[in-house]
Amino acid sequence: MNDQVISSDLIKVSHLSKSYQKAQGLFRHKTIQALSDISFTLKAGETLAVVGETGSGKSTLAKLLVGIEQPDSGEIMLAGQVINCRGFHKTNHLIRYIFQDAARSLNPNQKISDILHDVLRYSTVLNVEQREQKIADTLKLLGLLNEHGNYYPHMFSGGQLQRVALARALILDPKILILDEALTALDPSLRAQIVNLLLELQQKTGLAYLLVTNQLRLVRHIADQTLVLHQGQSLDYGLTNEVFSNPQHDYSRKLINSLQY
Amino acid sequence: MQLLDIRNLTLELETPDGLVRAVDRVNLSLKEGEIRGLVGESGSGKSLIAKAIMGVLHQRWKISADRFNWCGQDLLRLSYDEQRRIISRDIAMIYQEPSRSMDPTSPIGEQLAEAIPDHQLEGASWWQRGYFRKKRAIALLHKVGIRDHGAVLNSYPYQLSEGVCQKIMIAMAIAKSPKLLIADEPTTALESTTQAQLFRLLASFNQLKGTSILLISHELETVARNTDTLSVLYCGQLVEAGDTATILKHPLHPYTHALIKSVPEFQPELGFKQQLYALHGSIPTLQHLPIGCRLGPRCPNARKECVKTPVLERLQNHYYSCHFPMLEKTDE
Repeated sequence: MNDQVISSDLIKVSHLSKSYQKAQGLFRHKTIQALSDISFTLKAGETLAVVGETGSGKSTLAKLLVGIEQPDSGEIMLAGQVINCRGFHKTNHLIRYIFQDAARSLNPNQKISDILHDVLRYSTVLNVEQREQKIADTLKLLGLLNEHGNYYPHMFSGGQLQRVALARALILDPKILILDEALTALDPSLRAQIVNLLLELQQKTGLAYLLVTNQLRLVRHIADQTLVLHQGQSLDYGLTNEVFSNPQHDYSRKLINSLQY
Repeated sequence: MQLLDIRNLTLELETPDGLVRAVDRVNLSLKEGEIRGLVGESGSGKSLIAKAIMGVLHQRWKISADRFNWCGQDLLRLSYDEQRRIISRDIAMIYQEPSRSMDPTSPIGEQLAEAIPDHQLEGASWWQRGYFRKKRAIALLHKVGIRDHGAVLNSYPYQLSEGVCQKIMIAMAIAKSPKLLIADEPTTALESTTQAQLFRLLASFNQLKGTSILLISHELETVARNTDTLSVLYCGQLVEAGDTATILKHPLHPYTHALIKSVPEFQPELGFKQQLYALHGSIPTLQHLPIGCRLGPRCPNARKECVKTPVLERLQNHYYSCHFPMLEKTDE
């Protein structure tokens, strides 16, 4: 039984907590509990949506998963193995992060091909030709042309930039993609394009997504599971349909009912 | 009564590459007590139109219109002072990103007191005015749903959350009881619970005071739920206008059709995780606009005739500008 669980769960987070110290005056500290006792599992080819208001700990959760921050307690298991901050370079090609604003997360001084080369140089042992081949394949996968490699980020439009950001994340063949409000700033027709692309990739390669978002309508369409966070506490966690039709807590009910307006 | 009646509004900008036409012959009308939505993607000229109505566009923009009537008076033909007097009396606007459009150097109390017009304090002696002004400011805060007025009045914009700033912005806008309230993307920065609150607030002003509202947004689903009539813009061209319910049911323009189909909420038969309908390509930049109908290169049923700009046609109360409207498809 236990073996089966380990083999089917791609990522398993149990009792994760994180608090920050904030200085108050010279000697005193105030402790802010950003996350307390969060547990969830995510299978390959599934999507988990994390919803909640600002300050609910959504971004902290995303940061803990990619190893930017170290948790106070609890553990993150990736395919049966515990990962921690110190060994993050062993896992950082498996969990990739996409930022909210693609235009600001890409270096304006570098061509797209240079950005992608850097990613490969730091995390793989491929030689130059293999890297070139990999870049060409990834660009093609995302519906970009080979010539786009010679472009600078400012030469792209919003939707294309988001594709470039996706290319940077997907070039290492990750298992999990964390989308931190990555779809919020896009215009409706571009958002539909990117959502289609994400769904297609999930079907083809069995990617798992962790979607941190405020857009509940989108969550209902693409997420298998939903986790409602409020002030660092996990209020509702379960299948999206169940959470939406039968929320357990007052806060989640309020959040979901706000869709009706 | 027709409050706002704009016909063929064109906004042009002189650039090194020649004249750029950011807004191309757009019609817009608003009745008293009407809530109209203005939908379009970024760069479609929504905010420009709002700014043109407010008269706060930069001098470099060339504004021309066949008719720019406010309560039967053509604003463009009035002198600058007259124009300012009428606009400041009747029209108020809620700007995008409230925390950025407020003065960061003075507390909320002062800014709110400044927004209260003098004529509301007539009758009070000069030594009582400060007191009445403050009282009125507190009443306004209560009206928009802020209970803790003491703390809010003494704080600076950066100390408050985006939702509270947005509410204060609305309080400033309604201070002079305007006839028209322009809300430019009022909910982009807010969470969905605050969004719902805000729309209820706007709806209550509309019902209690008869304020007309022009709601500008790029989210079709929120606009559709809160408006009576709708205008859809694409790249500075008006593609469709009419009753919200009619447009949602029978869109005539391919762009509106695509916009509605790309929202999972309006597609009840769409399965979980199914592909959404999307137009290919992306929005052209202002320097490289296609001639004729600007949707042309992205349109699924574009033909030779589309290089000519279609004129606005009318089907009962439903306006559209397309050579090949989606009439047959909707009749099935």
